[in-house]
Amino acid sequence: MNFLRKYSDPITGYLFISPAVILISLFGIFPVFFGFYMSFHKWKVFKGRFLGFENYQRILGDIPSFWLFVFGLLLLILSYWTWSEFKDKFKNKYLIFLLSIIIFLISILIINISWSNMIIKGDDDFLNSLIYTFYYSFFTITFEVGLGLIIAFSLYQKLRGKQFFQMILLFPYITPAVMGAAVFFIIFGKSQNSILNEFIGFFGYDPQLWLFDKRPITEILFGIKINGFLAGPSLALVSAIIYGIWSYTGYYAIILLAGLSIIPNDLYDAAKAEGASRWQTFIKITVPLLTPIIFFLMLTGFINTFQAFNHIFVMQTSSAGDSMDVVTIEIFDHFWGRVKYGYAAAEGVILFILLNVLAISQFVFFRKKLNYE
Amino acid sequence: MNKIFNTETRIPYIILFFIVLFSIYPFFYMISTSFMTVGEATNQYLFPKKIIIENYFEVWKSNNFQEYTINSLIIAFITVAGILFTSIPAAYSFARIDFPFKNFIFYFLLISLMIPEIIMLLPHLLIIRGEIIPLPFGPSWMNSLQGLTVPFMGNIFVIFLLRQYFKKIPKELWEAARMDGASHFYFLYKVIIPLSLPIIVTVSLFSFILAWNAFAWPLLILTEDKWFPVTVSIYGFIREVGPNFNLLMAACVISILPILVLYFFTQRLFLESISNFGLKG
Repeated sequence: MNFLRKYSDPITGYLFISPAVILISLFGIFPVFFGFYMSFHKWKVFKGRFLGFENYQRILGDIPSFWLFVFGLLLLILSYWTWSEFKDKFKNKYLIFLLSIIIFLISILIINISWSNMIIKGDDDFLNSLIYTFYYSFFTITFEVGLGLIIAFSLYQKLRGKQFFQMILLFPYITPAVMGAAVFFIIFGKSQNSILNEFIGFFGYDPQLWLFDKRPITEILFGIKINGFLAGPSLALVSAIIYGIWSYTGYYAIILLAGLSIIPNDLYDAAKAEGASRWQTFIKITVPLLTPIIFFLMLTGFINTFQAFNHIFVMQTSSAGDSMDVVTIEIFDHFWGRVKYGYAAAEGVILFILLNVLAISQFVFFRKKLNYE
Repeated sequence: MNKIFNTETRIPYIILFFIVLFSIYPFFYMISTSFMTVGEATNQYLFPKKIIIENYFEVWKSNNFQEYTINSLIIAFITVAGILFTSIPAAYSFARIDFPFKNFIFYFLLISLMIPEIIMLLPHLLIIRGEIIPLPFGPSWMNSLQGLTVPFMGNIFVIFLLRQYFKKIPKELWEAARMDGASHFYFLYKVIIPLSLPIIVTVSLFSFILAWNAFAWPLLILTEDKWFPVTVSIYGFIREVGPNFNLLMAACVISILPILVLYFFTQRLFLESISNFGLKG
């Protein structure tokens, strides 16, 4: 009895957490290790022979180049970090600026070299899907955070009906992706007299095929043909990007608004007392204090949008070709459509590594920076 | 009127007006089209000439759509109940009870947040087929309710949110209760849960939305339509609907409605949670 009383707390503790621990370990953590295991085998529905790194070799073409690529990504983030960390600690700001610019250029160079190494020998479909994912992530995030900032600033003024605006802004965020995409699938349809085509016709543009158009956006807008990375996303992918922006802008606006409200009021009062104009306060106080949050949101956003799946899968059309195949679609297609389990698992591991490089660097660099002390 | 619309707030109001228009337009389009005739829908009119409610009846009765809606409701309710059942005691335990390796276990579980869903799908599929471990209810969970719900019943993010909230409840309450001879279970049931209803409602809504939105997973494990949720049926509907956009939009309205109704009643809590924690979606 004494024994029971002494250990009653730990026993209840373990009892309380056990269902959650069992479920999360089995369905939340075990899959990663099992995915690693699968990726080293030939696996089509049933387990085949051990392959070692052969799947990776086929996907990436050149495995050392991949690590070089990851290193380049880290340098890219380091260049921002150098600037933000040291610009106030040293007197010579220009030197720090120069240093971070140099690191930035080196990282771009490394990324470029390692990427072209990979694309020569690797799986073009997968590597291209990474580019499409990058387009998707980059454009959605830029617009989401940019528009989010504008909305947050607008809501931060003392307006009537703030609650109402916030409620409306979150509508797209809570809308199920499949149903939202169904609506956008019709709006971005190829019909000549659709509302969207009439809308752009109002500004003097020709009707477009939207989700059914695989030509890159640069070709459509400027009529020039570029190949490779700089060509930009296809019009079909742009339509998916617009959906992404639609569904998440309000969400980012709400978070940024919360970020704005934490900035202490006495900072503004002090600035006012010294006769600073609104614009000066904005540039000297708001922007510097908000920059860490913005950068943090962009990294988190990259991690989230790299996983976008549902709406892109729904909005896919056959005439858009592979120009909408972002990395999640590519992986899903490999194991659902083509039943190449081992190969898909290896692709998943690569995605996992890329995302965690972003996540870990975010954790290391920004853990301390997100408060206003 | 002048007071609301002075020079300082004019631009913010104009910006917000356009943003609201952008956010609302797809909903407007969906609802408006759902009341149109086929002809009007194909020509993408702004408003129907005459409101036609029959679209809704037609969708509801045809293609088993009502069954799919009920499936989705059942799946979502069971998932939410499961999440609450595993998460509330776990969160309480992590927040309040001392036991060895507590923090280690908690951080270990947090790893699951860093794993993309697409990577999980394939191992999940093998688990559900019973190829990795023997499963309790039947040899395989393909095409079954437990296969659709059980994998999502443990959610560390929900535990994290609840734990933050439970930590704020004063410790003295527990000490007083212990003096009176209450067990942890009794205290959790009688004191903590009633005090934490706001956060419990929020996480329930959050889990409900997650369960309602589930798409890739049901698509993967359902080979028969017995347990099809609305998401999968709408996906199929888009491909076969042809020019009958009005029916598709009516189906969308029906399947978004439960989410909007729930959101309408809990929006304030939801908003606060996003501002505080940035609910992951």
